[in-house]
Amino acid sequence: MSLWVKDLRFDYRSFSLRVRDLRIEEARLTAIVGPNGAGKTTLLKCLCALLPVAKDSLFLGRRDIALLSAEERARLIAYVPQEHGSAFNYAVQDFVLMGRAAYIPLLSTPAAADVEIALEALAYVGLRRYASRPYFELSSGERRLVLIARALAQKSDILVLDEPTTFLDPKHETELMDLVRRLAVEKKKTVLLTLHNLDMAVKHADAIVFMKNGGVVAAGAPDDILDEALLESVYEIKMSILRHEGRRFIVK
Amino acid sequence: MTRKQRVLGWLVILFPFVVFFISLSVGVVRIPLGDVFKALLSPFFPAMKEGLPENVLGIVLGVRLPRLLLAFLAGAGLSVSGASLQALSKNPLVNEYILGISSGAAFGASLSIVIFRQSFPPQVSAFLFAVVAVVIVLAISRKSDSPIVSLLLTGIIVSAFFSALLSLVEFFASPYALQGLFYWLMGNLGWPGWGALSISLPLMATGTAGLILMRWRMNVLSMSDEEARALGVNLGREKLIVVILATLVTSAVTSVAGIIGWVGLIVPHLVRMMAGVDNRRVVPLSAALGAGYLILADDLARGLAASFEIPVGIFTSLIGIPFFILLLRKSKRIWL
Amino acid sequence: MRSFASLGMILRPAIVLAFILGALFTATAPSVASSPAQAGPFPALTVKDDLGRTVAVPAAVKRIVSIQAEITRLVVALGAGGDIAGIDYTMRRHDHLFKYIYPDEARLPVVSMAENNVNLETLVSLKPDIIFASPFEKQIVEAIQRKTKIPVVALASLGDAAKLADELKLVGRILGRERRAEELAAYFNGGLGRIRDRLKDVAAGRKPRVYMSFWGSLTRTPIRYDPVAIAGGLNLAEKAMPDVLGSAGTTVNVEQIIAWDPDVILVHGNYLPAEREVTVDGILRDSRFASLKAVKSRKVRYTFGFWNWWDMAEVLLETEYLAALFYPERFPAFDLGRRCDEIHKMFYGLDGGFAKLSAALRCDEWTHD
Repeated sequence: MSLWVKDLRFDYRSFSLRVRDLRIEEARLTAIVGPNGAGKTTLLKCLCALLPVAKDSLFLGRRDIALLSAEERARLIAYVPQEHGSAFNYAVQDFVLMGRAAYIPLLSTPAAADVEIALEALAYVGLRRYASRPYFELSSGERRLVLIARALAQKSDILVLDEPTTFLDPKHETELMDLVRRLAVEKKKTVLLTLHNLDMAVKHADAIVFMKNGGVVAAGAPDDILDEALLESVYEIKMSILRHEGRRFIVK
Repeated sequence: MTRKQRVLGWLVILFPFVVFFISLSVGVVRIPLGDVFKALLSPFFPAMKEGLPENVLGIVLGVRLPRLLLAFLAGAGLSVSGASLQALSKNPLVNEYILGISSGAAFGASLSIVIFRQSFPPQVSAFLFAVVAVVIVLAISRKSDSPIVSLLLTGIIVSAFFSALLSLVEFFASPYALQGLFYWLMGNLGWPGWGALSISLPLMATGTAGLILMRWRMNVLSMSDEEARALGVNLGREKLIVVILATLVTSAVTSVAGIIGWVGLIVPHLVRMMAGVDNRRVVPLSAALGAGYLILADDLARGLAASFEIPVGIFTSLIGIPFFILLLRKSKRIWL
Repeated sequence: MRSFASLGMILRPAIVLAFILGALFTATAPSVASSPAQAGPFPALTVKDDLGRTVAVPAAVKRIVSIQAEITRLVVALGAGGDIAGIDYTMRRHDHLFKYIYPDEARLPVVSMAENNVNLETLVSLKPDIIFASPFEKQIVEAIQRKTKIPVVALASLGDAAKLADELKLVGRILGRERRAEELAAYFNGGLGRIRDRLKDVAAGRKPRVYMSFWGSLTRTPIRYDPVAIAGGLNLAEKAMPDVLGSAGTTVNVEQIIAWDPDVILVHGNYLPAEREVTVDGILRDSRFASLKAVKSRKVRYTFGFWNWWDMAEVLLETEYLAALFYPERFPAFDLGRRCDEIHKMFYGLDGGFAKLSAALRCDEWTHD
């Protein structure tokens, strides 16, 4: 399922977000990059309707997101926050199970099928063996994977991740990016994430969206849009694009 | 779940029923269990009355049965309310009165006892103002940016406001009315007769049942607001439902039995220490443990000395707090 | 912090209740006597009040403020009603007979609201020579005396008839009305003495066992109530609380009442009928009590009980009424209406006391079955 940002506005105190006519292709990995304060996280939250969105501004597939109920929306798009802090130390499995909330009626408890789906999601991220462990006993990288598993349990076509690689060491960073790439390729999910690390974006993403000051500066496949002039205009410092062994590297 | 946990779970569920029946035979007058059962069956099978000492029917059906039923449902209800509000406010240190219910109810009772008397019974007035307090809390906290923090804060402020109103009423009260009010405030499960209970018990049962049905949902609601919304929860509506049910239960208890504290805070905590934080277990087990706990506390309150009776609210505090401190210190795994 | 909020809701009323209970009807233990008050240039009398304080009282007491209802009534009975300069709130709003025994009472300023809430400015402006207060809280009494420089005497009988008579004599001494005090005390003690005499030979085992439902609650009962004791009844709650606590009343379990199976149940009748939480009718119809002797023989009656402390006239009347209730064969001629009129005439010069009291309390219905 693709995403179409027709005309999105969001105003918050001194900050304004305005994005028009942005398409996120389905079954692709799209990275949103830009300097701090560009509005990446705000855009992400609007895409998930976590911030109020006006009618006729944002479409998931053909559906206007503002017209969807919370449940319907959660079945179409899943959100992976950067972090999760909680007063309660749930077992990992119970945590992931919460991803089924959009499918379980208010007065019911999860069925065996729901538990199966949760365990499958855990297995996909490689943490099946941790099912009974308390969430906070896991390392931060593993916790990140659990959050992704929860989002997978939602069985949505679109997956949105907010800075999933922050605080991860290079090895785990790479593993995580491989994982989300597989989600796009194998599971045909539309994966959208924000990244600080431009190299990662360039290496793994099918499409990159450059944001600055609450707007989109450029969007498209790296081959099509990436050049030094663009980088300088977005980040306001001189950068060079180097090629080595067939790969691109951004050097400041 | 391990075998041991499963067994423990069943023990907890059976616990309140066992103490309920045993407590029916305990009291100032010792009544053997056999006579207790005969008395219980006698409204349906009048033949059972034969051979029973005369005062047994009055004691079992008129004194102990309503009291124990109230203890059972009040204990279950307060515990489940506490657990639910803890999940909702993502804070295990929250108690069932946090939305201003106890202060509102106290003020309502004071209005009735001191000013209106017969024309406006304390139960009705207490219930009404408990609900009013919660409505005010909800109305005020809706307007702010950060819903959960302001819910708690507004609860504290509204509680303080009603406490001040209570003090005002107390100031104008005659010493006789004042006495009545203070006894009401301390909590006593022995006052309400079948009349008052016929209304409040169904309210308690309904609210408690509703909260127990929502037990899994509370896991989701205990996530941050953002996450819960992302997971597909209609946050405003579901929080409101939980608050309404918890308010219904707690107000129903407070309006007939006064203020009985330390149940909704301690019991869910104990359950979490035993069974983990998953609300699918915490909520129903809290109901069971809470029911048994309040029955036992009430047994102590009425059985400790034959000729005087210490209000049960004092007991739940005196038992609950030290026990809690003990458990906190012994427990290595605190599911926080 | 939230846990403390709920703790506060429990502790606060418990603590304040302990104060009120302990103070309302209990003489606190005598403590160090405070230094005598400055009572004017000619201190004539030194008295010891119920708080153990030694108070110097002026020779000529012309203006009296009493915020203790019991003492106010005694002052009127002693004939010094005209010297009353100020009263307390309960006398104005809650008393049944004050406006009859003191027809001019509407002009008297109210000096105190609740027990411990005295308007010191009003008090001082009235320039009383003496203030009568209750031994509710020592600090309050001492504060009043300290701030107003007027001697405060704290007295209350707390259910003890003999103490009430002594109180009358003490107030009589203070007001220079000893003769009248002696007259009334003799009348009072004489009346009680006659009852005691007629019951001299009753064995302890033959005394009716009495349960009192007081203070508008089925389960609240006084530990000490002389009218019942003098009238030859056995107060079942007498040993209910350890003596050392000095409490006036206790709360018993409903089961305990059933277990006791009293011969007579008395209901606090000084409450206005519209305000009675507990009624004779209610008890007779209560299914829990169906098995009780008192219910079956319909020996469930109203009695006066405390009402803003005590009324000496009422105490005598009540004792005679109860004696006739407990031992009808020994007091066959008792007539509540006639005795009420006689006693109130003696104490307060009031005519038709019974009619007036019945208008409020419907006590004319008490002696009918």
